[in-house]
Amino acid sequence: MTPDHLSTTFAALADPTRRAILARLSSGEASVTDLAAPFDMSLPAISKHLKVLERAGLITRGREAQKRPCRLEAKPLREIADWIEHYRRFWQESFDRLDEYLYELQGKEKRHGRRRK
Amino acid sequence: MAAEGSEAGTADREIVATRVFDAPRELVFKMWTDPEHIVQWWGPKGFTTTTYAADVRPGGVWRFVMHGPDGTDYQNRIVFLEIVEPERLVYKHDPDKETEPVSFEVTVTFAEEGGKTRITVRMLFPSATARDYVIKTYGAEEGLQQTLDRLGEYVQTKA
Repeated sequence: MTPDHLSTTFAALADPTRRAILARLSSGEASVTDLAAPFDMSLPAISKHLKVLERAGLITRGREAQKRPCRLEAKPLREIADWIEHYRRFWQESFDRLDEYLYELQGKEKRHGRRRK
Repeated sequence: MAAEGSEAGTADREIVATRVFDAPRELVFKMWTDPEHIVQWWGPKGFTTTTYAADVRPGGVWRFVMHGPDGTDYQNRIVFLEIVEPERLVYKHDPDKETEPVSFEVTVTFAEEGGKTRITVRMLFPSATARDYVIKTYGAEEGLQQTLDRLGEYVQTKA
């Protein structure tokens, strides 16, 4: 994932309305009218949010001229989750290795009683 | 790794990894600033690291490659921003054309804790809402999580 790609996704997610829209779409596709219902917002305003989400690749829209139902595309979200997980794992395992290395370096005898978090 | 806050104003856009090591602070700090030591532990299990250049001082660059267990090489470039021995280290993943295209800042603190040393790594995210959203995705947003899980199989081979 390139930084630009990631930034686009982050930017699209940095708005409560858009996140609510995504949460709604996680339970199935919906029309703009459906999506607008819970919000005190005009259809054009909702459409604007949908365009941002669409540009970020977070949703796709159907081709039917009238309804154009929106659908969640989880890949960019997965990429963010993947990105986080990558670093989570990086530190967890680097810490394990550092712990071992420090142990060897200091030539300690007893291994138990060492605190970990 | 937990989303602990920091005293600074950046707590809302960081993710924190912390652990206590059974070693004196000076030694633990040295593990991070002596290139010979860094390569001994840096990276996930099964990775090895080769250093091309290491200039450990503010503005200095650590240019290295991480060799993954599957043979994949990950080119990296780190710029050191702050080195306060033995308590604090700030660096930035600062990509160039040849490295992994990821840019973010990392602050590492070394604190004495009853003869041991607590390391805390703080990674700064591009935005607070994004971080919260991702954390939420891992927990509360179950529907979304399931969707993610269904589509996430390719990730397993990528991590």
